[in-house]
Amino acid sequence: MSFLERVDQGIRQSAVWRSLFRNPYPNDERSRAYAVMNNVFLHLHPVRVRQHAVKFAYTFCLGGLSFFLFLVLTVTGVYLMFFYAPSANMAYTNILQIQTEVPFGLLTRNVHRWAAHLMVFFVFLHMMRVFYHGAYKPPREFNWVVGVVLLFLTIMLSFTGYLLPWDQIAYWAITIGTNMAGYAPLFNTPSKFILLGGLEVGQNTLLRFYVLHIMVFPLLAAIFLAVHFWRIRKDGGISGPL
Amino acid sequence: MAEQQTAPGHRTVQPVDPARRTEIDKQRVPMSARPYRLLALVKQDAVVRVQKEPDDTVMTWPHLLAIEFLAAVLVSVFILLMGLFVNAPLEDLANPNVTPEVAKAPWYFLGLQELLAYFHPTVAGALTPIFVLVGAALIPYVDRGNLLATRPSDRKTAVLLFTLFCGLGLVLTFIGIFFRGPGYAFALPWVTGMHFSL
Ligand code: HEM
Repeated sequence: MSFLERVDQGIRQSAVWRSLFRNPYPNDERSRAYAVMNNVFLHLHPVRVRQHAVKFAYTFCLGGLSFFLFLVLTVTGVYLMFFYAPSANMAYTNILQIQTEVPFGLLTRNVHRWAAHLMVFFVFLHMMRVFYHGAYKPPREFNWVVGVVLLFLTIMLSFTGYLLPWDQIAYWAITIGTNMAGYAPLFNTPSKFILLGGLEVGQNTLLRFYVLHIMVFPLLAAIFLAVHFWRIRKDGGISGPL
Repeated sequence: MAEQQTAPGHRTVQPVDPARRTEIDKQRVPMSARPYRLLALVKQDAVVRVQKEPDDTVMTWPHLLAIEFLAAVLVSVFILLMGLFVNAPLEDLANPNVTPEVAKAPWYFLGLQELLAYFHPTVAGALTPIFVLVGAALIPYVDRGNLLATRPSDRKTAVLLFTLFCGLGLVLTFIGIFFRGPGYAFALPWVTGMHFSL
């Protein structure tokens, strides 16, 4: 036995490893069924899925990839949070520091930015895929509604994040965006005031958007994602075939 | 599915206080007398049904997990390369006193901003987004024509309306991104350059 094989065996036979994974790596159908059923992450899936549903050209993996990007954004976002203070005096400096001083800071910020745009884009495409397959029809009506809520949350996550760098792009984009909300009939002044925490974009806005961005919307999204995935299975799995 | 339970022999089980036992409890088989555990409830008709539908399913592991993994890897490589070679935009520090040449909302709101150029702000900025979201949520409850028709060719009206709507949004967003310059006036990108950041 080579050295590497002995290390491999040593790890796999250790008490720690065997407490983590009760069974050896599943190679046959039966143990793979068990693995999918018993692993907390894998059991999002049923043990077997209908053939057409695993074809790339049916879902284009768009829902799954939206979720994957949500996870990427959570991880990169948490890293950025260590170096960012939501203060009108500090935020911009913090972004500059992230880009120049923080290890992998620039890369993390870039990935966070591009993944965010990509997620909004994929969620739109996912919605179109679902529509063209008529997958909102019974029994999936309610999951479509959950989806619309997720679309709203995704856009709001992106929008609230847009302000955080506190540069000219951010400031004026949010000014335009929130001005629109200011024209809501009956609620014009209150809705704008509640969003901004004042009459124009300022320190209160930054703090509000920050809390919404890192806490409120991610939590809400996680809850609605859980319902969304649960409902897919309770509604009988992926729709189709066409 | 039955599973052998390896009960540790030395553990003693205290019987439940008789005063707390209900009718249902009395009919239950005690766990210790049952060498299996309940894994699933099966509907009656599922058991007696003789004629079985043809099985069109495949194993999640490997068939679904493999494709999910591959898709995740490809997207990861893509955003990593983007992150390595294209920097996220960052301009000067926010300054309420310096209005930029043109202020544009993020791209997913640009369709709305484009509408602002034609309609009263209440219509463009408030009523439209509310209508779009509420309208989208109502689709399954409005489209009740033929509930079994899922093929696009069997539901031409729905597909046509939705496509027109998406196309309209796309065109408005495109104009907002490419054809609006200083002061949000019409401009040609190959003449005045791009006025857009992601
Ligand atoms: C954060 C956003 C979202 C995530 C992460 C997500 C995730 C998923 C996933 C993983 C699936 C499984 C099938 C597939 O990948 O296509 C799915 C199915 C579905 N989604 Fe979403 N989704 C999101 C937003 C939406 C939106 C905006 C809608 C519609 C307005 C929607 C409606 C549905 C419906 C109706 C299904 C069932 C489709 C079928 O059975 O063919 N979802 N979603």
